[in-house]
Amino acid sequence: MLIIILNLIGGNNMTIIKKLALVVVSLSLVAVSSISSAKPFSPKKPIELIIPAGQGGGADEIARLVQGVIEKNDYASKPVIPINKKGGSGGEAMTYVKKKAGDEHTLIITLNNVLTTPVNQPELGIDFFNDFTPLARLITDTFLVWIATEGKNTQGVETFDDFIALARGNGLVMGGTGSMSEDELLLGMMRGQFGFDAKYVPYDGGGAVAKGLVGGESDFTLNNPSEQMGFYQSGDSKALVMMTPERNPAFPDVPSSYELGYPDLEYYMMRAFMAPAGVDAEVEKYYTGLLHTVYHDDEFQTFNIDDGKLMSWLEGYGFKRIS
Amino acid sequence: METFALLLQGMATSFELLNLGLLIFGCLIGLFVGAMPGLGSVNGVAILIPITFIVPPTAAIIFLAAVYYGAMYGGAISSVMLGIPGASTAVATVFDGRPLAVKGEAMTALTAAAVGSFVGGTVSVILFTLFAPPLAEVALRFNAPETFALMVMAFATFVGLGGDDIPKTIFSILIGLVLSTIGLDLITGKPRLIFFGIPGFLHGINFLVLAIGIYGIGEMLWTLEETKGKVQMSKLSVNMKEVGRAFSALKKTIMAMNIGSFLGFFVGILPAAGATPASLMSYGITKQLSRNSKEFGSGVPAGVVAPECANNSASTGSMLPMLTLGIPGSPTTAILLGGMILWGLTPGPLLFTQQPEFVWGLIGSLYIANFFTLVLNIALIPAFLMVLRIPFAILAPVIFVLCVTGGYAPTQSLHDVWLMLLFGFGGYMLRKLDYPVAPAVLSIVLGPLAEKAMRQSLILSDGSMGIFFDFSSKPIAAVIMYIAIVLLIMPAFGPIYRKFFKKA
Amino acid sequence: MSIVTKFTVRRAEITVAVVLALCSLALMYKSAQNRITWSAEENMGAGFLPFYLSLGMFICTVITITKFILKKSPQSTNNEPFIDAVAFKFVSVTIISLVVLVFAIGYLGIYFSLIFFLAFYLRYFSEKSNSFILNFSITTPILTFLFFEWLLKIPLPQGISEPLFYPVYDVMYGSSSLFMIWIYIIVTVLSPSALVFLANRFIK
Repeated sequence: MLIIILNLIGGNNMTIIKKLALVVVSLSLVAVSSISSAKPFSPKKPIELIIPAGQGGGADEIARLVQGVIEKNDYASKPVIPINKKGGSGGEAMTYVKKKAGDEHTLIITLNNVLTTPVNQPELGIDFFNDFTPLARLITDTFLVWIATEGKNTQGVETFDDFIALARGNGLVMGGTGSMSEDELLLGMMRGQFGFDAKYVPYDGGGAVAKGLVGGESDFTLNNPSEQMGFYQSGDSKALVMMTPERNPAFPDVPSSYELGYPDLEYYMMRAFMAPAGVDAEVEKYYTGLLHTVYHDDEFQTFNIDDGKLMSWLEGYGFKRIS
Repeated sequence: METFALLLQGMATSFELLNLGLLIFGCLIGLFVGAMPGLGSVNGVAILIPITFIVPPTAAIIFLAAVYYGAMYGGAISSVMLGIPGASTAVATVFDGRPLAVKGEAMTALTAAAVGSFVGGTVSVILFTLFAPPLAEVALRFNAPETFALMVMAFATFVGLGGDDIPKTIFSILIGLVLSTIGLDLITGKPRLIFFGIPGFLHGINFLVLAIGIYGIGEMLWTLEETKGKVQMSKLSVNMKEVGRAFSALKKTIMAMNIGSFLGFFVGILPAAGATPASLMSYGITKQLSRNSKEFGSGVPAGVVAPECANNSASTGSMLPMLTLGIPGSPTTAILLGGMILWGLTPGPLLFTQQPEFVWGLIGSLYIANFFTLVLNIALIPAFLMVLRIPFAILAPVIFVLCVTGGYAPTQSLHDVWLMLLFGFGGYMLRKLDYPVAPAVLSIVLGPLAEKAMRQSLILSDGSMGIFFDFSSKPIAAVIMYIAIVLLIMPAFGPIYRKFFKKA
Repeated sequence: MSIVTKFTVRRAEITVAVVLALCSLALMYKSAQNRITWSAEENMGAGFLPFYLSLGMFICTVITITKFILKKSPQSTNNEPFIDAVAFKFVSVTIISLVVLVFAIGYLGIYFSLIFFLAFYLRYFSEKSNSFILNFSITTPILTFLFFEWLLKIPLPQGISEPLFYPVYDVMYGSSSLFMIWIYIIVTVLSPSALVFLANRFIK
């Protein structure tokens, strides 16, 4: 039936080829006219948003949120396409963006691994300060020290000081998101400061780390607020300290490290956006403006505050110095 | 019975006009995307994210469930028709689906896949409804040692899959495992085997690159050589007799359906595993337990039913760790998880009590999607079969186009397309010399999971292998491990048993 | 073609086995760039598993070579050609055209490369008319574009042809209803024509 109809439409081959030629010619005419009339930058094709991590992580979550907010409100004339390049702790994504120098349709969302990976993998030859054009930091996230409410090795631990006392010499197991990652560096810092030792077991992804804690495989973890949110709300895990100067409204009962008298225990991870090196000032201005619009979007604000994140807009080169 | 009421309500919601339209549209997109080599439900679900902002969340869930299920079915279509696994979950479907199509029984293979998928989907929804909370507890206790034991069991079920030449079979397993270690080592955080410093190796070797290379490019070269480009890919006839034969062939696959449905569901709920190992294990176990296990691989319907049943069952099962533990078992569930978070839902143990409408709406619409996909799939079989009538000289370049786009799309890197060509050519050469290729594909799927679980366990046990065999502290791991060992030894004892007892 | 017929299964077997043995050694060498030790005090090094697995590969190839020398494997006594001359031509043309295709994708972009690839391949292997080949070679990339870039929003490489697609994107994502008109034109005119050809020409 369908085939018969199609036959009627496309009976003569020559007409099809002529129609086709017409389409191609008219498309190329549009091409010439649009190139000559470009003044203030606006994207000409879909914008690739490179995520230097796998699907489902913290960076992925924010990238897809930003994509959603932009698409819902039509903040940009072309869609944003998130692309995960998780290889080599972000090394693959950074190499990709470095090679795209001058490309006007590529953005990368950064985790702190833009700082740690170039140091850990010098063979990649990535120079954080020259290979990217920083646009803006939108959010900072922090870590909390988590234990399972019914953890068999952490029974009776109520405060962070109880925990430090227990951790000295008891060989607790800490779950983390992979060697050389931030939580292992923080563990190193805490080892030095509090003199305890712990076995480090890497998992892939904060979600798996959180599950390993509640499942009884590890004794404590350093997780972002959102990674443990589900277990925190159900009472399966509890946080002992948040590594910030102040308490967070999403976790009213968790003391900050300043309150407990450990101001050294302060740590942030940034969620910022960068473009490749060598893009025009106009392009930079466009994307910074776009991100600014997203930042002030009500939905974006509400979501992140409920999720325990800190809204911290910082433009251009400023965010490089902070972290 | 409250859950059943909620489940029924969830199903009823699916029948509202907008939802039903989205459901059918989603099934079709899913089928299409699933059937494209290299693309899977993850791509279908990714395009959904913007849509979730336009339609109400319930409609969005229904749409996503439909895409997810449609893609599970779709994977089988290209496995059978083109011999290229449409998605990693459909690899095992190639083993018997492709030979069936070549024998001219593509109809049987497609019917078996559709009905098997439907049965798997049905059983898993029932299991999910009845046992979700206690199973969530099991999933939570399933840690690294248990995962490793499960992976050993998965390997053990495949002992019989290799060829006759034992060193070549072992070589194939080992090369798959070595390829799977390329990239960043999670445990030490160091890059490994980055040849010539090419950054493309940093993300490791995507399983699809090897599978599309070997089964797509390699198979095409093989067919070109055999037929010299002159012959159609397979003969075929569609008439009522054929349809009847297809359904009667399914009667013999009841065991495969049982194994696939239950095993698929239980492997699916384990956070680390997911649908791919489930379908592989289901195929392996069905083969080992089957009376005519020798015929597996040459085209038996049970060999299609077992993996298809399992992967659909597992895809419902894998919703459980996602919902209750917030752990995505696959990239698709990772994106769903992201979607849930954007809708303001926090995955976690409380989700079932705080957001029952969401949970049961999702499961209910999965089931309705399952039903509609079955109907669509059976109805579209004649259309799929048309592919087989296209002359090889036309089909071959189209398949190459599908391979190239499919190799590129998952990682967006041309590097992977080059690797795919290399594997295709290498796989073709090796196959000509009796090196079995299926074990390499299996190892590259299971290798990374197994390695990670093993090394995590060894850190916990300070390097002692005893952790996998200790009944007192890790009973689940020990039980699985001993079953795996029995499975490993069984085929080796078979010939010995026959030798000693038959002669006497 | 005499080289092709002289390359027997026997020769192929030993050549491949030796190449694989060398590859195994190279993998062992490469693995050894990471730590390959493992002891109770120290966790397993990153290179441990790949190193010993490659060693296993090497041992397997050594067994294969030994079996070859002892003439214990079926391939070691098989003096038939590895591939016959006609098939060799088909296979090698296919491989070369695929390699050229992937090279071209990097420069020309996938859509234009596909036109040339399909035109060449169909011209070489099928006996279809030129008008069919032209139509097919142009329709396929357009459908690929619609499927990947429009429906799935997966960007495929465009190489130097990228600016040509800007107006297409403008049309696709422009708020004007022009977008729908274009899609309508393309879908109604082009894909049926492809289907008609499928229907008319191949299915007897």
